[in-house]
Amino acid sequence: MIRVSHLTKRYGAHTAVDDISFEVGAGEVVGFLGPNGAGKSTTLRILAGFLGASAGTVTVAGRDLAHDSIEARRQIGYMPEAVPLYPEMRVIEYLRFRAELKGVARARRGAYVDEALRRAAVVEVANKTIGHLSKGYRQRVGLADALVAKPPIVVLDEPTAGLDPNQIRETRALVRELGREHTVVLSTHILSEVEACATRVLLLHKGRLVAEGATDRIRAMRSPTGLDVTIGGDAPTAVDAVRAVDGVADVRAVPSTSGDPRVRIRIEFDAPGESGPAGVAGLDGPARALATERCVAALVGKGIGVREVRAAEGSLEDVFAALTQESEAVAPADADADTGSR
Amino acid sequence: MRSFWPIYKRELFAFFVTPLAWVLIAVFVVVQGMHFFVLVDHFATGESIAGDETPLSAFFGNTVLHYMVLFVLVPPMTMRLFAEERRSGTIETLMTAPVSSTAVVLAKYAAAMTTYCAMWLPTVLYLVILSRADPGGRLDRGAAASAYLGVLLVGAGYVAIGLCASALTRSQFLAMVCTALVLLVFFILGIGEFVTREGTTMHDVCGYVSVWSHMNDFASGLVDSRRLVFYGTTIALPLFVATRAVDSWRWG
Repeated sequence: MIRVSHLTKRYGAHTAVDDISFEVGAGEVVGFLGPNGAGKSTTLRILAGFLGASAGTVTVAGRDLAHDSIEARRQIGYMPEAVPLYPEMRVIEYLRFRAELKGVARARRGAYVDEALRRAAVVEVANKTIGHLSKGYRQRVGLADALVAKPPIVVLDEPTAGLDPNQIRETRALVRELGREHTVVLSTHILSEVEACATRVLLLHKGRLVAEGATDRIRAMRSPTGLDVTIGGDAPTAVDAVRAVDGVADVRAVPSTSGDPRVRIRIEFDAPGESGPAGVAGLDGPARALATERCVAALVGKGIGVREVRAAEGSLEDVFAALTQESEAVAPADADADTGSR
Repeated sequence: MRSFWPIYKRELFAFFVTPLAWVLIAVFVVVQGMHFFVLVDHFATGESIAGDETPLSAFFGNTVLHYMVLFVLVPPMTMRLFAEERRSGTIETLMTAPVSSTAVVLAKYAAAMTTYCAMWLPTVLYLVILSRADPGGRLDRGAAASAYLGVLLVGAGYVAIGLCASALTRSQFLAMVCTALVLLVFFILGIGEFVTREGTTMHDVCGYVSVWSHMNDFASGLVDSRRLVFYGTTIALPLFVATRAVDSWRWG
């Protein structure tokens, strides 16, 4: 549905997006993940046809965005990050206007607007003036606008920014549901958000596409990789006791912070064979449970009291670091494959 | 160009749902009403009337009120057209819809011109009053038509300049000030016609751009093709620049 090749966007001397290439297939839900300023919004704005690319090409549903811009824009429903709306209009007036603007035929307009109101759950505020709506409702009106012409592609820039936890949950559910009928591209800086919504993740950093992968892989990287154990005893003894245990890759004492009298050790499990990236994901489910039991038994066997055992989860930084290193390792191979296919 | 109509409707809606258009029209009608009253009073007492002067020609031409009113009212009318959308960000949703830059510019221009015409509409009543007061039918319909053509052309040029200024800046205030400045330059050049020596280039230039003499001609029923070319230019050039400006935002 979307094919982006060697896309670059420069603002004067500053390069916001630096030579990124990717494809999005029909029915995929793809999440752009990256810290603020990584170039997510700029990329989405180019996809939506708001900004022109400094170099590279973007094809949307077979139409080149530079040469057939209006037809390409017709394929996309876009919600900008700030969700700009006309405050003086009523919700239903706004959606009728947007439907007409996007070329929905008069005969179908009413039905399309009703459906967009329903799907974005804004039926109850349809007759309210947009300027009087809360942030959550405004966000959903923006969503309704993106959906109103039933475009094959929906592009959402930070769809949950500024919402409360309930609204975030609803919005994520809606995005997942959109994936059944639309190709969805969204951006976020929250890892759990892409995990909840997207089937594939593109990781942006400083304008470059540093990694991409299925969400399942990201989730695997986040799954517990080891244990944090609080003990009643001295750390070196405990480390020696656990090191020999089957399935343990590494053990180290956690330096105690001031004001925290607990003595802790960090246990890293072995990688689960071929299925996961080395050194990141821990043993798979049952094996991990078994290894945990063995670790605790070993500690207790040495006369060390175990006070707390917690699964250590990978953070966004861990995933980020792992994916970045990985992509650097495979990048030359990717480039070869790319030239080969063309 | 399919997107022309919805944008036009939304712009008109924005004009008339906010107090702006109503305030401008109210101010305009009050000022023009007083103007008309003074004129009628003047002609009714019959003092020192030049032979070819009628209330009609005096209302549209030979009066500073015409320019002062347009000078004050057109800039606030056009300032928000693009600047507001760029400041609030709605330009992003507008331009990511399947619309062409030309359609956006023309639709916004047409909406502003509609508001401008709505502003002048009540003055048609003055003609009705004049023809009622003078059943002999000496009201020159041709001159009235050409006077309104002049009003339309002058306004069309001014509104185009205002729209262009609004497309060139994000600040509504700056758009308003720039528009007013350009209109002021036109007016001052017009005054130049009276202070420069006859036969000099400056005099010719000033005479060519002088709204004052344009409106005098139009008000006395004279439609000069040079005026049509001049106003055709003041309409087309700013609209072209505005369209290019809208295109250029993609590369900002």
